[in-house]
Formats: sequence, C-alpha cells, structure tokens
Amino acid sequence: MKKGKICIGQFMSLPAFLLFALFFVYPLLKGIGMSLTDWDGMGTASFIGLQNFMDFFSDERAIHDIGTTLIFAVFSAFLLNVTGLCYALLMNSRFRGQGIARVIIYLPAIISPLIMGYIWYFLLQPGRGYLHYAFLQLGLPDLTASWMGSYRTIMLVLILVNVWQYSGMTMIIYLAGLQAIPAELTEAARIDGAGRWQCFRNITVPLLKPSVRINVVTNIIGSLSVFDIIMSLTQGGPGYSTESLSIYIMRMCYGSKTGYSTAVALILFLIILVPVLISMRLTRAKE
Amino acid sequence: MKRILKIIKGALILLICLSCLLPFFILLILALNSSRRVFYEGNIFIPDFYWQNFLDAWNKSRIGTAMINSAVITAGALILTIAAGGMAGYAIARYKTRFNKLVFGLLLSCMMIPGIINTVPLYTLMRRLHAVNTLWGMVLVCSTLAMPSAVFIFTTFIEALPKDLDEAAAIDGCTGIAVFWKIIFPVIRPATASFVILNGFGIWNNYAQATFFLQSRSKQNIPQALSVFFQQFGGAEWNIMAATSAIAIVPVVIVFLIFQKQFMKGLTDGALKG
Repeated sequence: MKKGKICIGQFMSLPAFLLFALFFVYPLLKGIGMSLTDWDGMGTASFIGLQNFMDFFSDERAIHDIGTTLIFAVFSAFLLNVTGLCYALLMNSRFRGQGIARVIIYLPAIISPLIMGYIWYFLLQPGRGYLHYAFLQLGLPDLTASWMGSYRTIMLVLILVNVWQYSGMTMIIYLAGLQAIPAELTEAARIDGAGRWQCFRNITVPLLKPSVRINVVTNIIGSLSVFDIIMSLTQGGPGYSTESLSIYIMRMCYGSKTGYSTAVALILFLIILVPVLISMRLTRAKE
Repeated sequence: MKRILKIIKGALILLICLSCLLPFFILLILALNSSRRVFYEGNIFIPDFYWQNFLDAWNKSRIGTAMINSAVITAGALILTIAAGGMAGYAIARYKTRFNKLVFGLLLSCMMIPGIINTVPLYTLMRRLHAVNTLWGMVLVCSTLAMPSAVFIFTTFIEALPKDLDEAAAIDGCTGIAVFWKIIFPVIRPATASFVILNGFGIWNNYAQATFFLQSRSKQNIPQALSVFFQQFGGAEWNIMAATSAIAIVPVVIVFLIFQKQFMKGLTDGALKG
C-alpha cells in the first residue's frame, strides 16, 4: 500500500480489538485485583493480600478438585487420542457407507455436553436408571450400583462418557492428517518390501505428529475446564468428590466468596497455561 | 484371509456406529414411556408410545422460548464475530502495522484460554453495563470468546489471497472497508463456513456462561432452561425430562444432517489449517 498515507483500512482491526479488550482482557486483569480482596459480591472489598491463595491450598475440597480436574483431563486426552486414532485408521480406507459412518460417529460431538450428561444420568442412575432394568431383565447382577458407587468408578464413567462424546472430533482431525500423507510414499515402501506395521511405524506415525499435537493439546485444555457434563451427570457428587475446578469457581461465586473464586480462576489459569506454553514451544520449534 | 479381515473391520465399524446411536435410542424409549410404566415388566426395548410426554414437556419447560433465545444468541454472535473478525483479519493480513501485529499476538495468545477463567469479574462488568439477563449481553460474551478463532482463520485465509485482488480496487478509489466487503468477503466464503462450523454449535450449547448471564426465566438459552427445569423436578418424572431433552437436541441434529457434507469438509479444512 502507499507509504506515508494513513488509510482507514489499517484500523479495521479496531472493533475486534475493542470488543476483546473490554470483555476479555479487562476482566482478566480485574480478576487479578479482585483475587487479592475478600469481596463478597455486594459490599465493599478490603485488600487481604495472598490470603485467598493460602486459603485455597489449605482447603481440602479445593485440593481434591485439582486432583479430579487433572485426572479427568489427562485420562480423557489419552483415551480420546487412542480411540480417535483407531477410528481414523479404521475409517481411512474406502468402503460403502463411509460418509454415513463418519456422520454417525461425529453426531454425539455436536450435542450439548449438558444434555449428554443427562442422557447418561438416565442410563446409569443406580436403582432406577435404564441400565439397572436392562441388567435385571437379562438376569445379570446390577452393575450400575457398583459403577456409580465409588470415586474411582464414577471418574471412569465421566471420562468414558466424555471420550464417547468427542472421539468423532478427534477422529476427523486424524483423518485429515492421514489423508494428507501422500499415497505414493506408502506404496513405494510396500514395493521395497516393508510390511504393514513397518509402514505404519516409519511413515504414518512421524507424519501424523502435527495432528497428535493439535489433538492432545486441545483435548487437555478443553478437559481442564470441564463443566457441563459433570454438572448434569453427577452434580459434582457424591458430596464434592467429582467436582471440577470450574464448578468450584461457580459455586464459590454464588456462595458470596467472589474474591476467593477469582483467585481459584487464576490458579486454574496457571494450570491451563502449562499445556498452552508447551504447545507454543512445540509449534515454534517446528517453524 | 483378506476377506476375514474385511468382515472384522466392517463389524467393528458397525459396532462403533451402534454405540454412538444407542444412547439416543434409549432416550427416545424413555421419552415415550408413560410415567406409570414399570420397567420390571414387559420388554425394555418397546416403549408405551405415550406421545403426550412431548406435549407436556413443551408446555411445562419453556423449551420453545429457550430455542428462540438460543437461535438469536447464536445468529447474533456469529454475525458480529464474522463482521469484526473478518475486518480484523483483513487489516492484519494487509497492513502490517505495529498495532495490528499487537492485536494478532494478543488474540492468538488468548485463543486457548477458556471463558470460565474471567467469568466472575466479567459478571461485575456486565452488571454495570446492565447486560446481565439480556440477549445482546450474551451475544457480546459469546462473540468475544469466539473472536480469536475467527481472526486466526480469516487472517490465514486472506494472507493466502493474491494482493493484486484488492490493490486494483484500492487504486480505483475504494476505501479499505469497501474493498473488504465488496472484493474480499465474497472470496473468503470457505473461511466463513469453517468458522461457523467450528464455533456455531459451541455457542448454541453454551452453558458455563449462560448459567451466569442468563438466569431470568424469559432469557434462558436451551442448556440453562433444561438445567433449571431438571432441578425443579428434582429427579422425578424422567419421562418428561427425557422428552424435553429429545426436543432440545432435534434442531442441532437437523441442522447437522442437512449440512453434513459442508460440515465434514469445513472441519477437515479447519483441521489442516490448524
């Protein structure tokens, strides 16, 4: 463009910037200030330094919620990638009904995770869920009671429901990655006498690395802020055992501990920053 | 040997598809049972075909109002984000000023930060703006959260366009804004489609923000209305709750099935770009 002359065009980024600055950056910065106060959402706030953060780390419920959130995120991301990649490998070759199969596998991912949680609640509720009656009618022992009975199994249920819902999404990204691999490459290797496994190990896996990175990072970050599915499937219960940090933030805010809840949000922010920074480093290393 | 492998593969795919559809099927069975249905008797796969549930669900749950609200919020947020994000993408791709680089860097580094992080302080801001319990307030919140993704998609797309395209128009005396809307915007339709596909359902399904900003009964979106309705029932009358859930997922499923071809293509494009 012409030098020295200021054109309107270059300021076209202004609306997006203003909107983002006002509704994202400003609250983010304001939250840092609020986290250092004892504000209850209504009255006046007084500065209490790092007290909220110290309270957080001495609160058993909060520490437990960090554990729940991390377990959910790490296992979800791992299983999502395993199933997504397996689905993609299964679906990569041409076959009749391929389009329909893809649409069906992707279908759960477009539906609100809140509603998904309710559907699985109807299925799994011990003593009255659909599966309870299914087990009874088939003459099998009622497994729903033991599935929903202990922290470990409930967490596993939550993770598996999440994996069930979003495998299609992970699959699509792996499929895109697989289809970007030139067919000549594998063909040439096959002619040179490489087996199927060798081809997969030495051609597919290395070329699929960018897809793995995208999937792992987005899945971990998405699962770290998990909210909807736990709200509808267990409400964070029994007790507070399956409560995630996002739910804890909301409950503290409603419980008139506004200052404290912003401090928890900052702690969640720092946790999420770890995979974000790792992914940025990896992207830069690639370039 | 090859044949057996093919059969195993087909069976596996069929099994996966069934596992994806089964919960929907069971939801439908539950939604079609009368409240007096006792599951200990009779076939669990055949419901009572009690269609009254759907009428009751519709009348008791305000899901109709919620659907209109969700539609307004989704359309409003998508249009606003495409307009602001598209123009920003054009400015960033074509005018490499320090300000534009700053905007791009800021948005990109915030792209992965989920909304829940700043929702509480945002709530106090929204209250001062009288934007709580308004649809326009929710439009602004959702649009802000989708903005980084929009700017990223539009910038990468416009950067790949040849420069002569808009320079010729600029020489004819068009200003930047006119060049963007008349020349660039029609060309980047695939980018717009990609953005809508990647963000539309998320805005429609938003619950984490709606639970803060849409509490008034007449302004609820679908997830918020459902969760309030379910809390009211306190776990009773599953048949009506199931019918409400079934009604709530119908619009998304229809939109998804109609646009599934474009959808899958847009997703793949988006995945390759990322």
